[in-house]
Amino acid sequence: MSQRHEPNLSDRIRYRRKQLREVLPSSDRGVPYLFLSPFFVLFSVFLAFPIFYTLYLSFFRFEGVSNSTILWIETAIFDYRLVGISDLTFVGLDNYLRLLSDSLFHQAMYNTVFILLVQVPIMVGLALALALALNASFVRFRGVFRTIIALPVSANLVAYATVFLVLFQETGLINYALGLVGIGPIPWLQDAFWSRFTIVSAVTWRWTGYNMIILLAGLQNVPKHLYEAAEIDGATRFEKFRYVTLPQLRPVLLFVVVTSTIGTFKLFAEPVTISQGGAPLESTITIVQYIYQTAFIDFRLGYASALTYVLIAIVSTLSLIQIRLGGTSDA
Amino acid sequence: MHETTRRSGVWKFVTYAFILLMAVVTIVPLYWVLVASTLPEEVFLSSTSLPLFPGDAFFENFRALQARESVNFIRSIGNSVLIASVYTLLSVLLCSMAGFAFAKYEFRFKEPIFYTILATLVLPIQLLVIPLFLLMSQLGLMNSYWAIILPWAANPVGIFLMRQNMKSVPDTLLESARMDGATEFQVFYKVVLPTLKSALAALATILFLFQWNLFLFPLVVLESDKYTIPVAINQLVGAQRVYYDQIMVAAGLSIIPIFLLFLFLQQYFVKGIIGGSIKE
Repeated sequence: MSQRHEPNLSDRIRYRRKQLREVLPSSDRGVPYLFLSPFFVLFSVFLAFPIFYTLYLSFFRFEGVSNSTILWIETAIFDYRLVGISDLTFVGLDNYLRLLSDSLFHQAMYNTVFILLVQVPIMVGLALALALALNASFVRFRGVFRTIIALPVSANLVAYATVFLVLFQETGLINYALGLVGIGPIPWLQDAFWSRFTIVSAVTWRWTGYNMIILLAGLQNVPKHLYEAAEIDGATRFEKFRYVTLPQLRPVLLFVVVTSTIGTFKLFAEPVTISQGGAPLESTITIVQYIYQTAFIDFRLGYASALTYVLIAIVSTLSLIQIRLGGTSDA
Repeated sequence: MHETTRRSGVWKFVTYAFILLMAVVTIVPLYWVLVASTLPEEVFLSSTSLPLFPGDAFFENFRALQARESVNFIRSIGNSVLIASVYTLLSVLLCSMAGFAFAKYEFRFKEPIFYTILATLVLPIQLLVIPLFLLMSQLGLMNSYWAIILPWAANPVGIFLMRQNMKSVPDTLLESARMDGATEFQVFYKVVLPTLKSALAALATILFLFQWNLFLFPLVVLESDKYTIPVAINQLVGAQRVYYDQIMVAAGLSIIPIFLLFLFLQQYFVKGIIGGSIKE
């Protein structure tokens, strides 16, 4: 792994390289570090440091001066500038213990897991079915269909969520269309259950095409001779899917499931947009929404850091479990 | 034999029907945004009619949107384009330089550093809002474009994608440039970068869309004059009375240009996702 593997390099080049090494001034040994350092500086400051700093903050009570459910975030930021790091009070594991009895956290957790368990299987199933359909050789205009179905991934997150907000209005297009087939107006945004459904359909609309593209790429990498061998053995369409496609596709499917799971735990734009226009916030609140509210509206930054860390722990654990269950070492 | 042909005919029909249905479901909301933005609110929100064709109220709706005091929507489009472009250029540069170092040089701690960077892929890094918020306020970068350009410029997806692609550039090409007296940096931008045009386009597309969609952090650090599109649209929804006609114009204006860009760049985008996710 650490040794570079260069079977194609001719002896001539190897000789030149040796020459070169003798010619190069020793200061050029620092070249890779020069290429790496700008990336690494930003990575350390804005990614690595915050990861540890969040953990640190989660052991403190750290609250802003503004008590603020009423204040707009702009005002809150100005007020924040008055708060110094000295306002930290060490509370040990208090923040984490408080989570155990925080009913709004439990509600947020429930909503997120609910969306995860409903949305991810539906979306991955649809994406897989679409990938299989668009991989079939008899289908014409495959490129066109692929582009159309992948288009939503480029839509601005908040813009598309707003469109769904309007589509699912009491007097909106969806209820109108349902009315045509005799289904009475459904309170998509007013009712907790239905607004979760609205969020699920919005997320599915946006990400199915993206996952389809990844799965399609995976399908195209399945060696053709495996299908030919299966055909010689007299395998049915389903058997070919079950014994050739599925096992070959496993790493890619795993990737799709892991990224979709992480995506569900990061949900923010959709619930914020869709809930603010409808159902009572608590009934659809997601974890990231709760973190946002705790940190930047209630200004309890220490508690919000603990929430963040719990979320990071959950997501990492789930990803690891899924990778382990996926059972492939190369995934 | 006849039986098999008929069954495979049914199969083809089901497949086509499914694809067509999904394509229609995908297109309807997009088409509808366009139509709705040209109609008065009471028409597209009426429960008694099905608006299928564009009307002539677009400019009226647009003027109403522009008259908003709390949000300058055109300015927010400008902000988003500027921020996403600078971010994309900076990030592509940083990621390809670092990817080059990982693909083509040997140095101490190369593997541990690379795998540390890769490990952050699993973390929901958009969640580091609180420490980043504190950091920005310490650095005096609150309400500046840099506050949302810098944090994700060192993008782990980008470095992974670039490293994979740089590996495919033959070493002999690099060696011969060196023999011609090129410096290491010249080797990088005169030899390596030009051979990776499609990978660079893919990465640029992915990064641009990523920044274009960022919502949580911009919402936290920006004030109204610097609002990006997602934050600006969110302000329209959060208001006391929701003006759906203005919202539809705003949504349409923010979705259409990026669709056109996507249609133009989608072949790279597809390659980029595939390259970054699956290979090796």
